[in-house]
Amino acid sequence: MFNYIVRRLFQMLPLLFLASVAIFTLVSLQPGDPLDELRMANPMMTAEQFEDLRRAYGLDQPIYVRYFKWLGRALGGDLGRSRTYGLPAAEFIFQQRLPRTLMLTVTSLTIALLIAIPVGIFSAVRQYSAGDYTITFLSFVGLSTPNFFLGIILLYLFVIVLPENLGWRGLPVGGIPNLMWSDLQTGRVTFGSYVGQWATHLILPVFTLASGSLAAWTRFMRASMLEVLNQDYVRTARSKGLNERKVLYKHALRNGLIPIVTLVGLSMPSLFNGALITETIFSYPGMGRAIFDSLVNKDYNVAMAALTFIAILVVFFNLVADVLYAVVDPRIRYD
Amino acid sequence: MKRSFLMVVLAVVLGVAFAGPRDNSLVIGTSQEPTHLGDPLSSLGSQAIRSEVELYLYSGLYRVNLDTLLEADLVTEVATVENGRLSITSLDEGGQKVEMRLTLRDDVFWSDGTPITTDDIALVYEMSKAPGMPTASPDYWARFSFSAQDAKNFTVQLSPAQSSDLVGSPIGLLPNHKMRDAWEAAKTAVAALNPATDGARIGEIYRGFITDFGSSAAINAGRTVYSGAFVPTRWTPGSALQMARNPYYHAHPADQSKYVQSVEYRFITDTNALLFSVTTGAVDATSSVAITFDQAISPQITARAADRYDIWFVPSATWEHLEINQFTNVQQVADLMLNDVRTRQAITHAIDRQAMSDALFNGLQPVAHTNVSPSDPNYTDNVRKYDYDPEQAAALLTELGWTRGADGILARTVDGRTVRFELEFVTTAGNAVRERQQQFIAEDLRQVGIDVRINNAPSNVVFANTFINRAYEGAWTGMFMFAWVSSQASSLNAALYLCRNAPTPANNWAGQNAGGACSPRYDEVRDRAVAELDPVAAMPLYQEMQVIFAEELLAIPLIYRANPLVTAKGLVNFVSSTFSQGYGYPPVMPAVVGWEQNGATKRFDQAQYASQF
Repeated sequence: MFNYIVRRLFQMLPLLFLASVAIFTLVSLQPGDPLDELRMANPMMTAEQFEDLRRAYGLDQPIYVRYFKWLGRALGGDLGRSRTYGLPAAEFIFQQRLPRTLMLTVTSLTIALLIAIPVGIFSAVRQYSAGDYTITFLSFVGLSTPNFFLGIILLYLFVIVLPENLGWRGLPVGGIPNLMWSDLQTGRVTFGSYVGQWATHLILPVFTLASGSLAAWTRFMRASMLEVLNQDYVRTARSKGLNERKVLYKHALRNGLIPIVTLVGLSMPSLFNGALITETIFSYPGMGRAIFDSLVNKDYNVAMAALTFIAILVVFFNLVADVLYAVVDPRIRYD
Repeated sequence: MKRSFLMVVLAVVLGVAFAGPRDNSLVIGTSQEPTHLGDPLSSLGSQAIRSEVELYLYSGLYRVNLDTLLEADLVTEVATVENGRLSITSLDEGGQKVEMRLTLRDDVFWSDGTPITTDDIALVYEMSKAPGMPTASPDYWARFSFSAQDAKNFTVQLSPAQSSDLVGSPIGLLPNHKMRDAWEAAKTAVAALNPATDGARIGEIYRGFITDFGSSAAINAGRTVYSGAFVPTRWTPGSALQMARNPYYHAHPADQSKYVQSVEYRFITDTNALLFSVTTGAVDATSSVAITFDQAISPQITARAADRYDIWFVPSATWEHLEINQFTNVQQVADLMLNDVRTRQAITHAIDRQAMSDALFNGLQPVAHTNVSPSDPNYTDNVRKYDYDPEQAAALLTELGWTRGADGILARTVDGRTVRFELEFVTTAGNAVRERQQQFIAEDLRQVGIDVRINNAPSNVVFANTFINRAYEGAWTGMFMFAWVSSQASSLNAALYLCRNAPTPANNWAGQNAGGACSPRYDEVRDRAVAELDPVAAMPLYQEMQVIFAEELLAIPLIYRANPLVTAKGLVNFVSSTFSQGYGYPPVMPAVVGWEQNGATKRFDQAQYASQF
């Protein structure tokens, strides 16, 4: 297993190099450059002055020169500064945006998993019962309701309709609370207040984001458990006289979880790249918006840092998923 | 613990904000967040919300009031010929030089109590002249020079000068006592680099110098000081920027406790969410960068206005128009005779712009007849107007040799070829309002036999230099609908439709005259107008330009935009006009914004400068 992991890690290097070349090329080849807006805004700018600006933004050099300059600095730990924000790209992504995105995505993933697994098991064990039909119906509603629609409906409901009719102030329309981590250290807010304010801001986006995966994973869990429950070894376990709880949770669940482990492993990178639509609807400043805005604004350093980071995560979590197979399924062994 | 947590959640849920008159504060909702603050050279690019927020934090030498007049702010008086502070002299090589001799007031201080001096202006001047410093207006700084006589008196010169140089503050300020050491360090770092090969690195160092004092982290760390009525107290990126009164500000009202004591910009980037914030009262006012026009007239907001808030539409100098490709080397342009003014007149007569304004904008965005806003001091209404007249359009097209084909579309024969009047129509994909206008226009044009072929793409594609500025190569061959954002200065520059600003291979695709419109008569009058530094003498020239523009239809004007502004009832002096503070950002004097309920006196009336829904 150790050799396998080391080998895979080395195989990642050329893959990540190619990925970074592809990302840089695609980002650089998109139409226009960061100076188009400046040029449009200032008709008095001369061609010579414009060339000076191109030099100041490094756009006077060919793509491959710019790429290797970026790579050289990136390998030295310098991801450059955001053209838009002036901040170091690493600080903008890893200190400002990533923690917020993780707060949103990890919460929604955890909630989705905590609900989907038991509900999926229940649905499988009580197949064709009224409960199963209800869960199946709700799952399909969840699967077929797009996030942007659900988000707006929830906002309308919890920010306008219910408050207007119940005399309730309602939930925040989105964004994040006016809080910083240092507020806890300085005692500006209590821990309860900190968590409470975050909770009220996260309720709607977390529910919106969780709804899709919750529905999908419930269906997967149900299907997987049904398949396992019909296996011979489960029948054997029951015929041995084991109680149903032991059959379910000791014998069936471990195998039933294998597809879920794969799905969760593959969805790990999406925890980091944010949820663009949900973030947009709820004005949540996370990675999804950061990547989107950096591409639209042609903020190359931010786009490169974020997308390369995602590429690393995709490759890494594929490896993690492969390793977890072996942990969950004793039949799988790597040499 | 559990109980206190629940209480907090309940408190937050039940009372998200106690903003407004109750605690004499102001919460402003905006859909954009400043990337940084304190960038007088716009080294990191321009951003409307940054300019607006900076009105609270930085005083200028002058301010542009609601009537588009200059008022002295940090200086003792506005430089004029009459008071002897402004002189205009002729240059041997042609053109004129302007010299302004100004004096900083004795009672102006930074927010730490340090007096504001000419050293603070000299720092910005030095930055503007640093080789490799990215600025949004290199052309301006190339003509600019500065000298200080002492700590309070200084002179600025512009040579050769343009009429637009007399609009707004000639230069900004930064606190020398806070930033000088870092500036010297940035210069030292740049000196070790080669400008020919390290341009990007040099630009980054300079931009880094700006953000080391203007980023949210720098501001929260209290790394710099301010000259405006407010100082930032806290900036939570992605959430809000809070400001409190600056105790050292020189122009607080005598009874300042009656005016708002704190201001918060709340960043709600999705305009639907922002709309909900307005309707629920979570924000007291909207910024100039907030909800869209469409949203401002939607029933969701208008039905809930009643006694809670006012919805204003401030006339904007931004004008929506159709740029027409007039490069005759492009086959389609020659075939359709788009360079012939009669074709452009026919197209204009064929479009019912008033009906479009009524249908899409409740008539609140008026029909434009030229490229100059009615709010502009140089505006004239005495220009040729093109009312909706499909018969006149048809007559002009017939005069040009077009006849209706069997399919109802105009056709004519050119060199043995049958040419259909099929016009490419480009605009920004995804901009729903603009796409609705496009449908409206396309339908009108079809009525007179012009077939429209829509070819939209996202704004970053169509506004890329390789598209919009390549009409000469036929990147787009017909009409391109977009808006020019104007300030009074850009209106005075009037450089857009100069023949020499048509992007072609000859000028390396420079210039914003994307369609290649060319009127030597317009150019000649414009060059005289720009060189005429006496506004009274310049006015007839600017008006003559509008007459020529409308006569020759260098572009087809559609509508002037109006910016929605929502203010809670009782909020006073949160007012803007078309050109107030340059681009119409509210408020013109942050120090006097307040709540009538708390005794604030109304000094400015928005009704004089905007229409109310």
